[in-house]
Amino acid sequence: MRYVIAGYTIILSLLFLYAVHLVWRRRRLTRAAERLEAAPAPAHSEPVTEGR
Amino acid sequence: MNPNQRVRSPLLQSARARWTVRIIGIAAAVATAFTVWLGLWVTPPDQVQGDLVRLVYIHPGVAWVALYLAFGLAAVASLLYLWPRTRSLFWDRLAAAAVEVGVVFNVCTLISGSIWGKPAWGVWWAWDARLTSTAVLLVLFLGYMALRRVPAEPEVRARRSAFLALFAAVDIPIVHFSVLWWKTLHQGATVLNPDLSPTIHGSMAWTLLLSFVALTLVFVWMLLVRYRIGVLEDWLGTGELDAALRERQAEGAAPDPAGDGSEAPAGAPVPEGVR
Repeated sequence: MRYVIAGYTIILSLLFLYAVHLVWRRRRLTRAAERLEAAPAPAHSEPVTEGR
Repeated sequence: MNPNQRVRSPLLQSARARWTVRIIGIAAAVATAFTVWLGLWVTPPDQVQGDLVRLVYIHPGVAWVALYLAFGLAAVASLLYLWPRTRSLFWDRLAAAAVEVGVVFNVCTLISGSIWGKPAWGVWWAWDARLTSTAVLLVLFLGYMALRRVPAEPEVRARRSAFLALFAAVDIPIVHFSVLWWKTLHQGATVLNPDLSPTIHGSMAWTLLLSFVALTLVFVWMLLVRYRIGVLEDWLGTGELDAALRERQAEGAAPDPAGDGSEAPAGAPVPEGVR
C-alpha cells in the first residue's frame, strides 16, 4: 500500500504545484499588464528639425 | 506589425470567460477528489495485484491526457498553423500551451508507471518499448519548449515550433501501438483494445472512467489558464515595445543638448525594452 500512497501523493502534489504555478504566473502578468495600461503615455509631439 | 496598430488589451476578458474557467477548475477539483476517494477507499483490491491496482486509477488517466489530449492537440494546432488558410498565432499559442501542460502530465505518467513497476516487475525502469517511446516523447517535447525560447520573430518561432511538434507527434502512434508491435513488459490495452471490449468491470471500471473525466477537466483548466498566460506574454512584449517607441519619439522631440544637430554618440544608453 505504501507504493500506492506514494504514487497518489507525488502525482497529486505535482499537479497541484503546477496549478499554483500557473495561477501565480497569470496574476503576475495580469498585474504587469494593468500597470502598463495605467501608465500615462507621453504627449505626442512632432520631431523638431527646422526653425529652432 | 504596424506600430500604430492598437492591440486589444488582454485585460478585456469577459466575465463569462472568467466564470467558465473558474467553474471548470472547481469541477476538476471535485472530480479529482471523488476519484481519489473511490480509488483509495471504495473500490476493492484486485485478485492478482492486490492494492497495487489502485494506481491504475491515476496512471492511465495522466497518460491519456499527455499523449492523446495534450500532444494530440498540439499536433492538430500546429498543423492548422502551418495550413495557409487557417494560419493564426492563436493556433501557435494553443500548441505551446498544450505542450507545456502535456509535458507535466507526461512526467506524471512516467513517475506513476515507475512506482507501479517497482512492486509489480521488481524494477523502477525497464527499456521496454512502451516506456522508452514515452520517454522519447517527453524529450522531444522538452526540445519543443527549448526551441520556443530561442529569440525570433513570432511568426518564425511559430513555424519552427509547428514543424517540430508535427515531427514529435509521429511518436504518439508508436507509443500507442508499441504494446502490439513488440513484446513488452507493459500490459496491453485494457479499455481501448483492438476488440473494443474492456477487460475491466464493476466499480473499478467506473472509477477508471471517472479518473479519465477528472484528469481531462484538470487538463482543460490548465490549458485555458496557460493559454491566457501566452496571450498576456505576447501582449506585454508588444506593450513594452510600444512604450520604448514612444520614449524614442519623445527623445527625438526633445531639444538637442549640443545644439549642433549631432546624433547621440555611439554606445549611448538604449531605452529599456528595446530589443
